[in-house]
Amino acid sequence: MPEMVTLAIDEQEVEVEEGTNVLAAALGAGICIPNLCYLPGLKPTGACRVCIVEVEKNGRTKMTASCTLEAKDGMVIHAHSENVLRARRNIVELLVAEAPESEVLQVLAERIEVEDVRYPERDNDCILCGRCVTACAEIAATGAKGSIGRGMNRHIGLPFYNEEYCQKCYECRERCPMEIAPQSRRDPCGVCGSELSKNEDLIPEMCGDCELD
Amino acid sequence: MPRLGNLDDLAALCDALGSKREQSTRTVTMCAGTACRACGCLPVAEAVEAEIEKQGLCGEVLFRTTGCHGFCEQGPLAIIEPGNIFYAKLKVDDVEELVSQTLKENQVVERLLYTDPVSGEKVRTEDAIPFYASQTRVLLGDNTKLSPENIDEYLSLGGYTALAKTLTSTSPGDVVSTVQASGLRGRGGGGYSTGRKWEQCRQAPGEEHYVICNADEGDPGAYMDRCLLEGNPHAVIEGMAIGAYAIGARQGFVYVRKEYPLAVRHVEGAIEQAHEYGLLGDNILGTDFSFDVKVVHGGGAFVCGESTALMASLEGKVGEPRAKDVHTVEHGYLNQPTCLNNVETWANVPKIITNGAEWFAQKGTQNSKGTKIFALTGQVKNTGLVEVEMGASLREVIFDIGGGPQNGRAIKAVQTGGPSGGCLPESEFDLAVDFDELYEAGSMMGSGGMVVMDDSACMVDVAKYFLTFLQDESCGKCLTCRIGISRMLDIVTDVCEGCGTPEQLDLLEDLAWTVSVGSLCALGKTAANPVLSTLKYFREEYEAHIEQESCPAGVCPALIHYTIDEDTCNNCGLCAQNCPYEAISGDKESGYRINGEICTRCGICVESCNKKAIVKS
Ligand SMILES: Cc1cc2nc3c(=O)[nH]c(=O)nc-3n(C[C@H](O)[C@H](O)[C@H](O)COP(=O)(O)O)c2cc1C
Ligand code: SF4
Ligand code: FES
Repeated sequence: MPEMVTLAIDEQEVEVEEGTNVLAAALGAGICIPNLCYLPGLKPTGACRVCIVEVEKNGRTKMTASCTLEAKDGMVIHAHSENVLRARRNIVELLVAEAPESEVLQVLAERIEVEDVRYPERDNDCILCGRCVTACAEIAATGAKGSIGRGMNRHIGLPFYNEEYCQKCYECRERCPMEIAPQSRRDPCGVCGSELSKNEDLIPEMCGDCELD
Repeated sequence: MPRLGNLDDLAALCDALGSKREQSTRTVTMCAGTACRACGCLPVAEAVEAEIEKQGLCGEVLFRTTGCHGFCEQGPLAIIEPGNIFYAKLKVDDVEELVSQTLKENQVVERLLYTDPVSGEKVRTEDAIPFYASQTRVLLGDNTKLSPENIDEYLSLGGYTALAKTLTSTSPGDVVSTVQASGLRGRGGGGYSTGRKWEQCRQAPGEEHYVICNADEGDPGAYMDRCLLEGNPHAVIEGMAIGAYAIGARQGFVYVRKEYPLAVRHVEGAIEQAHEYGLLGDNILGTDFSFDVKVVHGGGAFVCGESTALMASLEGKVGEPRAKDVHTVEHGYLNQPTCLNNVETWANVPKIITNGAEWFAQKGTQNSKGTKIFALTGQVKNTGLVEVEMGASLREVIFDIGGGPQNGRAIKAVQTGGPSGGCLPESEFDLAVDFDELYEAGSMMGSGGMVVMDDSACMVDVAKYFLTFLQDESCGKCLTCRIGISRMLDIVTDVCEGCGTPEQLDLLEDLAWTVSVGSLCALGKTAANPVLSTLKYFREEYEAHIEQESCPAGVCPALIHYTIDEDTCNNCGLCAQNCPYEAISGDKESGYRINGEICTRCGICVESCNKKAIVKS
């Protein structure tokens, strides 16, 4: 039997197997933490920062991504505090400004009530969520795709930009949330459902079928 | 070299080397650090050696080249003992006189002495130089006493006795307690308690434990770690060996950037020599303790100095940080408990063991103990590496050691902590060099960069400089850092170009907060500090750019204009000849005009005008 740990997320007690990340724990308990780069069951990278939460420890709080945070016994998590909502909106605002055409980002923005985008629009297809890299490494077990370059030069590519390294399984495309890959599922968050989605007026269309409350 | 089989062998060797050292009646010490090499110290050093031989002083005079002494701008420099005579800016032509007068005749050559820029007077001895006099050179002092290429020199000063003492008479737990009691905090930036880190690492279960020395040093303008590693590599190695014993590691790594070839060479040479004496390798000094150190060359990415990125790079992976909710003391290199410390942190360890925790804890403030080395640069009279006791005020460092402003200008700010730090105004100069005080004021101790700026610096431009650096050095993995920094840079650039708006300042603050709370690693988490600190202390400069479209310091090109004052101009045409962009047109009859569209605000015309007829507005 795996060890279980109990933590509190938004004052709700949640019990999960040791080693589970906080995002998975929350989603499993029906608490939606919006997320983007996370692929359920695979190794989280913490790239998009959308799943940001506040961790309370000794009366002090620290903000961090929930997908890369391992659930620990007695942990106290705030997934919808004022700070979290502000940071999350600002993060999604940055994302939308990078790729204003993206349907997924617009849905995400709508869901968490990003009211306006205060930055000049840029015109990017890829927001470097890195899902394709994770899929290539873990689902396809090819490990061909990777990120190249630093900072604003960072981009996704194959070693030496050589197509031969790709096994053409297209596990990556399947998981791309952007419009670059036509056959992608374009789900913004794997499984979705939101505390916010309880507000009838705010439920975007795609949240309607969600299994979570 | 004989292998040292036990503690007594080491003690005997140290004694022998120590007394030999004392016997030499005369020594000439020249700095041969990277900066002095760039000033041409090697030919001078060769000439001194040759001249000593030529004048028949070989037996009496001991000549050595050392690592950096700190006062780099005065190089090539030499210290002659006895007498502590200090000669600066030496040339090959000076050597004959140095040897015949000073070494042979005991005469000081006045013209080779250093002139203090503050008093304008010649200073005879090294100790009397104001730049050195206000320092507490616990670590840098050793740099001036030994040749880094010869382990015997380190041993002659009692080197490796701290390790010997540790191995033979102290339990690992007691070593950790000593370090903890000393109050030593990490010198790499974060200021985490070294003793606590060691304890956590020691307690963490794992098949292997590792120690790593972080010598990636990538802050612009900082070179403290390079100089320690170059000048006294054995102190770092000895510190690592003590740490390894304390936490139960058998393998250590020095992760050093490959742009530091001399440091790489010296530390590699030092490891080899320590091996030959049996001070590294199996069964050190005949004990059960075995430890080895490997040098790994970093590619020079700033982010690779971050602990998790460094360990990824060490494993041969992309040097990219990971979320640090799981600490590297538990799961670090190869997922094993790993203790990473900065070069200066390690170098402090043998001192603490030798002199005791109380000795160390006496120096400094309540929560910041010991000394700290800074790379003092910018618009002060004296620049170089300075080591001060914690608790010294910024004012002491800038005015007493740095000698105050150049050219009668006024000092406006100091930037501490590198790209993660912030800018503090003159009104905060009474703050102490102390981890917590600097942090609370909105800056950081960081690894020890200290850039002094006078009123010719534009603080918005300074923020822009650091953002540009960080934008390039961010690994780009997480959104808030990659995109957040570039958006901050866009806004600050708008401000510099006079097209910023008051709303943008609010957005900048909101964004800065988002980047600091949202980013994955400390690069992103601290990236907003240069912006936040300049906004806090120099907001009026941002506002002047926005509201009056003017740059008070006259730095931002888009907001300054050069015009020719017709009344002063004598139509000589020199400015037009000198302008590299051909932005000045006219002739001797009708006068000259600057075309603002073509002008790049380089200022060359101002320099070229004998009449000072070109005005900047
Ligand atoms: C972007 C970034 C760069 C860093 N660069 C260095 C470095 O060059 N040298 C260093 O010692 N620490 C550096 N650090 C701090 C290290 O992550 C780590 O805290 C330190 O090496 C620990 O040693 P200490 O406790 O002795 O300071 C850096 C941190 C960050 C976030
Ligand atoms: S904060 Fe910056 S440097 Fe650190 S992981 Fe994120 S993108 Fe990379
Ligand atoms: S950072 Fe957690 S989902 Fe992207």
